[in-house]
Amino acid sequence: MEKIVIEHLTKKFGDTIAIDDLNLTIEPGKITGLIGADGAGKTTLLRLIIGLIRADAGHISVLGINPDQDKDKLTPLIGYMPQKFGLYEDLTVLENLTLHADLKDVPHDFGEMLKFTTLAPFQDRMAGALSGGMKQKLGLACALLGKPKFLVLDEPSVGVDPISRRDLMRMVRALINPETTIIWSTAYLDEAHSFDTAVVLDKGKVIYQGAPHSLAPTSQKFESKVIELMGGYIPHPSEVAANYQVEPFAGDYVVEADNLVKKYGNFYAIKDNTFQIKRGEIFGLLGPNGAGKSTSFKIMCGLAKPTSGTSRIMGVDILEEPERARSHLGYMAQKFSLYGALTVRQNLDFFAAIYGIDRNTRSQRVSEIIRIFELENVADQTAEELPLGFKQRLSMAAALIHNPSVLFLDEPTSGVDVLSRREFWNHIIGLAKKGVTILVTTHFMDEAEYCDRISLFYHGETIAIGTPAELKAQAGAATMEEAFINLIKASDNENSDSPH
Amino acid sequence: MKTLIPLIKKEILQIVRDPSTIIIAFILPFISMLIYMYGISLDSVHVTIGIKNDNPNMDTASLVSTFDKNQYISTVIIDNEKKMASAILRGNVHGCVVIPNDFCTRLSRGEAADLQLVTDGAETNTANYIYSYTISIANQWLATSPYAGKAKTNIITADIRNWYNPTLDSHHFILPGSIAVTMTFIGILLTALVVAREWERGTMESLLSTRVKAIHIVLAKYIPYYFVAMVSMIFNFVMTVFVFDIPFRGNFLILFFVSSLFVFDLLGVGLTISTYYKNQFLASMLSMGIGFMPALMLSGLLFPINSMPEIFQWLTYLLPPRYFSTFILSEFLAGTVPELVIFNSIFLTVIGGLLFGLVYYLTPSRLEK
Repeated sequence: MEKIVIEHLTKKFGDTIAIDDLNLTIEPGKITGLIGADGAGKTTLLRLIIGLIRADAGHISVLGINPDQDKDKLTPLIGYMPQKFGLYEDLTVLENLTLHADLKDVPHDFGEMLKFTTLAPFQDRMAGALSGGMKQKLGLACALLGKPKFLVLDEPSVGVDPISRRDLMRMVRALINPETTIIWSTAYLDEAHSFDTAVVLDKGKVIYQGAPHSLAPTSQKFESKVIELMGGYIPHPSEVAANYQVEPFAGDYVVEADNLVKKYGNFYAIKDNTFQIKRGEIFGLLGPNGAGKSTSFKIMCGLAKPTSGTSRIMGVDILEEPERARSHLGYMAQKFSLYGALTVRQNLDFFAAIYGIDRNTRSQRVSEIIRIFELENVADQTAEELPLGFKQRLSMAAALIHNPSVLFLDEPTSGVDVLSRREFWNHIIGLAKKGVTILVTTHFMDEAEYCDRISLFYHGETIAIGTPAELKAQAGAATMEEAFINLIKASDNENSDSPH
Repeated sequence: MKTLIPLIKKEILQIVRDPSTIIIAFILPFISMLIYMYGISLDSVHVTIGIKNDNPNMDTASLVSTFDKNQYISTVIIDNEKKMASAILRGNVHGCVVIPNDFCTRLSRGEAADLQLVTDGAETNTANYIYSYTISIANQWLATSPYAGKAKTNIITADIRNWYNPTLDSHHFILPGSIAVTMTFIGILLTALVVAREWERGTMESLLSTRVKAIHIVLAKYIPYYFVAMVSMIFNFVMTVFVFDIPFRGNFLILFFVSSLFVFDLLGVGLTISTYYKNQFLASMLSMGIGFMPALMLSGLLFPINSMPEIFQWLTYLLPPRYFSTFILSEFLAGTVPELVIFNSIFLTVIGGLLFGLVYYLTPSRLEK
């Protein structure tokens, strides 16, 4: 088997240098994890390696082929899963697989694939109607078809729950030939820690390459080491929180959900959800993809109507006075929901204006939040051009611009690099200390540890609630990830035992 | 072929699933045809004419009643100039005939008598109708009036025979012509979104990472949409000929052949927009601007090309609907005219070929050109 050799690779987009004189050798038959900050050049590097874009200078050799000149010779040998998965949402699971099988000229023998992906019961469902985790499995399945010699995965596990992430890993290891070379870009450092090699990218250069275990024996320590490599994180008080003013509130609970039920036909997206959040508390909503977390969020902030039940924000009923309830609220949606055609500054200026920040202080406020979230360099770029991590930062900045007393954050750190995640949580914790009440979802189990209390949500129901320590004790687990998996499995067993 | 066929299969599945394809290909032409059939008419219209008679007597009374008896005209008697002005201004009358006080005196002397005709110049078409109505009614009256012998008779009269459309029913050319306009819109709109959609949803990236080449992407768009557009074309034709009973004097095969060339051009326009802009919203806006408006205004259907300023006349040579509307009008009304078929087919083929080349040139085999 041939290595992948990259020499003096340079790629510019306009004046921005994405890949800067990069040298890298990837050993065949191994899994190489690609990690790095947002905008470090991970996606660009992967696209260059398979010839989807062309280098400005330098040389690449993949399986002995130059992707710059002989892309057509290379493509039959590779499997590629782009960040957007590349699925046809208006085709069924089976039709998507068939298309990719035909394009790779391999037989339509999907039995094993469907079994491994647990997509078999859904094979006639439109890809667009699948839950997030299922889409990712299907995208990965399409890339794995025909057992490619070289597999390139661009953040396949963004926004995926811990159980589905294990499934993805299992799929890859089971469905490839042992000699397959894999490059797997990821934001999850526990994932990267389990690979054969880790490559850390920073500002278009390789700053570390080696076995993850030789860098650190555990994934927690690995994370600290990677942060160190990326320039280090110096704990400091959150600047957002420093001058933050929270409205006074005398009631017991700032956020309350009262017997929320949401039914679609006969299907309960949310069965009966009740919880209360105290002032200044960080309340985590955890659960697998499709458990009903985002639906709960939308109901809680009045964007969707519950079938029954209601919720209150600072004592204001969201069904009776949605505008007044929302005025206390900053909401960051899971899907990027700012204006792609506006620049970073224009977006923030717009949200400042609609939240009623007066003209005189507006530009000052916008400049301040741009500085705090380190968006200065991209302030005049349109939002749609930004890498995922920057989009998330912008969304969080927009949610905070009007000083809300309550924050709803739906997967705020999906696709955000490890350094920025630290900074995000530094803000979240700082704000909570100032008395901001926070409801947050995440798929990073290390982040769950920062929560004061956690509700574990599954099939539309709360299956466990308590502090992280309580949940770990209840599940008999050492880590949150283990607790998550154990509790979900226990719930599955219970349901299969009990007669329906 | 091994790459092309699965791509075409995929495209067909998407077409069948997408309700907007059905709306564009069938509902849209159906609605537009109803409008062209029942909403638009370029025929003679019924007008109301005011008459201000400054020379009231038996003879002018019979002139007024001749106006009144005409099936296209209603008359209103108007007393003075002020009322005439306000009636025209308010649109109560479309025009006004003034019979001057020396009308009968001059006629009886055998001199030329004047009728003043005031019309609303803001509505040129109606003004023209009123002018020709008034002339013909006045002459009709004169022939039967006591002054008949006194006037010099015209020694030449024109006997008009309208070829191809004897009854001058404007629907006989509006409906076939509307096929050219509607198909322009449909052909472009069908394809304007399809490449942009692949870019926006990220499926282009995944296609380009397989052995798919630019030519496969281009053909897999052209081929299925050619069939969709042709089915829509046949639907338009069947509606026109069998539902609205517009006579067709041409040849079906020739119509099918030239229509195919026309559709080839339109898909090219749509795919060029889509491939170049990679954005569904922009593409749909542009297909309106590039597709519908020029087809309606510059194809020669509603406004004759030879009465346009020269620069616009040249511009029409770039527009496929110009050739197709010329062809389809003659094919419907006059039957197959070989010179027209050949001339228009050559131009449609050249334009279509150039557009195909452009689409192929613009289609990248990587994420960047």
